[in-house]
Amino acid sequence: MTVLDKTFILACIDDSEMSDSVIEYAIWLAKNSQLPIKFLHTIEHTHHSEHIHHEGTITPNMTEKLLNELSDEERIESKRLIADGKTILNKATEKAKQAGLTDTIAKQRHGTLSEALQDLEVEIEIMVLGLKGEERQSDTKGLSSQLEQAIRVINKPVLVVKKSFAIPRNLLLAYNGSPTSKKAIEIINKDMFSTQLLNIHIMNVDKNLDTAKRLANEVETALLPLKCALKTEAMTGDPVQVFTEYQQQHNIDLTLMGSFSHGKIHGFMFGSFTTQMLRNGSSNFLLLR
Amino acid sequence: MLLSAKQDWLGNIRGDILAGIVVAIALVPEAIAFSIIAGVDPKVGLYASFAIAVIIAIVGGRAGMISAATAATALLMVTLVKDFGLQYLLVATILAGILQIVAGYLNLHKFMSFVSKSVMTGFLNALAILIFMAQLPELLNVTWHVYALTVGGLGIIYLFPYVPVVGKILPSPLINIVALTLFVYFMGIDVRTIGDMGDLPDTLPIFLWPDVPLNLETLKIVLPYSLSIAVVGLLESLMTANVIDELTDTQSDKKRECKGQGIANIGSGLIGGMAGCAMIGQSIINVKSGGRGRLSAMTAGIVLLIMVVFLSDILKIVPMAALVAVMIMVSIGTFNWASLKELKTNPKSASAVMLSTVIVVVWTHNLAFGVFTGILIGSLFLAQRLSQFLYIESNYDEATDLRSYDVVGQIFFNSSDKFISLFDYKEAIDKVVIDVHRAHFWDITAVAALDKVVIKLRREGTDVSIIGLNEASETLLDKFAVHDKPEEIEKIMGGH
Repeated sequence: MTVLDKTFILACIDDSEMSDSVIEYAIWLAKNSQLPIKFLHTIEHTHHSEHIHHEGTITPNMTEKLLNELSDEERIESKRLIADGKTILNKATEKAKQAGLTDTIAKQRHGTLSEALQDLEVEIEIMVLGLKGEERQSDTKGLSSQLEQAIRVINKPVLVVKKSFAIPRNLLLAYNGSPTSKKAIEIINKDMFSTQLLNIHIMNVDKNLDTAKRLANEVETALLPLKCALKTEAMTGDPVQVFTEYQQQHNIDLTLMGSFSHGKIHGFMFGSFTTQMLRNGSSNFLLLR
Repeated sequence: MLLSAKQDWLGNIRGDILAGIVVAIALVPEAIAFSIIAGVDPKVGLYASFAIAVIIAIVGGRAGMISAATAATALLMVTLVKDFGLQYLLVATILAGILQIVAGYLNLHKFMSFVSKSVMTGFLNALAILIFMAQLPELLNVTWHVYALTVGGLGIIYLFPYVPVVGKILPSPLINIVALTLFVYFMGIDVRTIGDMGDLPDTLPIFLWPDVPLNLETLKIVLPYSLSIAVVGLLESLMTANVIDELTDTQSDKKRECKGQGIANIGSGLIGGMAGCAMIGQSIINVKSGGRGRLSAMTAGIVLLIMVVFLSDILKIVPMAALVAVMIMVSIGTFNWASLKELKTNPKSASAVMLSTVIVVVWTHNLAFGVFTGILIGSLFLAQRLSQFLYIESNYDEATDLRSYDVVGQIFFNSSDKFISLFDYKEAIDKVVIDVHRAHFWDITAVAALDKVVIKLRREGTDVSIIGLNEASETLLDKFAVHDKPEEIEKIMGGH
């Protein structure tokens, strides 16, 4: 095995309140799977110049002067962000160590989260990130646009953390017979998720109740070997509404589903199912691509 | 992409709008001045600036860059307008746009890598000189009032930013225009005004197909102009994109920018505007004023149009001297003054490239010719230098009467004569071995040179054998793709 073949649980952390849960979920996954954790902090240059001039004159050597000015400002900003990030990463590694995990890596990268993920994709086994990043903390309804971009760029499972950490007991599998939802069955069968599960709810929402029933039953057989209670549900109605209500009624900790299967244009025009689920749902989500 | 598009548009709304307004104010005098350079009514440049700025905001490849009517392209149109009129200029503008789109699809932006730093400096210096020269007609054979006004205007432009508080908020070129206009108006001084230079826009632009016969004759007239405009436009745009990339530490999409410039020029031509491209000065002003997104170019275009349509009556009475002052500022700001000092310290070849670029541009009034000259001279200097990387080690073995030549270095068109001269043909000898495995044959001239050496030696009755030709001729292949891996390059260049 070369170094590149080594895969990680990638935990994307920042200064937001979700990060603590992200770290805890990563630790939980690491313990179940024996995979090492890589904590990732990205330094985003959203920096906008403080010293804005509106005098509008073209002066000699303007480019050089402006370049120096901007790079000086950004250097200070970057250094601060790197230092802040180091603190966040140290806290995370410390937490992992306390939980008995010594094989963790802390990594900082410049650029947006999705850029970092593109570069790291090959080594990701599963990724954990918070629903809202630091910039969006005050915005209760909105999803960070970063999140969708991040999920879209990589082809790996993503655990989106929306609630504080609790070992998942009740799992909801949104199943529609698509290749991604078949992947979902594979992943549940892995120890990483299944060992501590008590209930698995398999659910299909379709316009046609018969199809829904057939599809839901299809999964049950595949999941029978697991030592937890299986419950199959078939329903009709607006999927987002049906799923979110079900999540609340049955105390679902984790919802497993395919994500962003439509193109961006479709999502832009009609609103993406995934985005609506993430926004309105009451559980954490494991998204598959 | 839609997400990053959203960021490009709405990521910096306040900064973009404010910067856009500053740019719009700066664009008005420039657009008028460039129209005058091209010999058309001010409205042609103003409509062009509106169309290009707005269209580029949407289809361009570099957020935060400002494109509009420019001096670089205006200078190329002078004779076309003089000989054939505005309608032919509009056709030339549309055709230039089409050529730029084609250039985008053909990935011609990659040729920008041939434009060296010296050529770029020469380009900007030449542009500055031409902008200054274009102001001379306004300064010759005029009353002393004009000189006084121009100097006063320049004083305001350069000193107003030092006024506390307002100096950093209000664009000083605007203060110059307002102050000089008020002064001339109330003192009743009789000097030339913008209104004397031709029509200003009094309505929103309308869609217009140029009124010319669409035939080969027309194509023959406009094509040379369109080509020059397309080339110069792309050069300045890509150069500016590089500057903005560096300033903002972000990437631009050069291919999209080429196509975008094309679309913008077509749009400009169709509403009665002249061709343009990115503006280095305005783009830097934009960044300096806090503009980073696409919204700033969009704002600049729209605000410019609103200003000129509603203020055309006021614009008419703006004295030309105020405009000349602005253009002198642009000229002084565009010139790379440090490059004069560097003439002493830079390698002579670099200075020669810079100067020849400037001289050819000022001579021909065509920046494209200057850039080509600069690239050509720069390449010749490089070839000259590379040809020095060649030597031959010669050994004689008395026992076997064998002379071996060990060739090391680069053999190509420029070093092939030197290569031939490095052998001793007069030596009466039995056998010669030429070992070329540490040499590189870059072109067929090099191969021909080796043949020549072999024939010359054979004529003298010497048996010649060559070792290592396969390794030496690997560089001959035009398949550059073979050489894109480090280990392949090491295989070829290893030992040097």
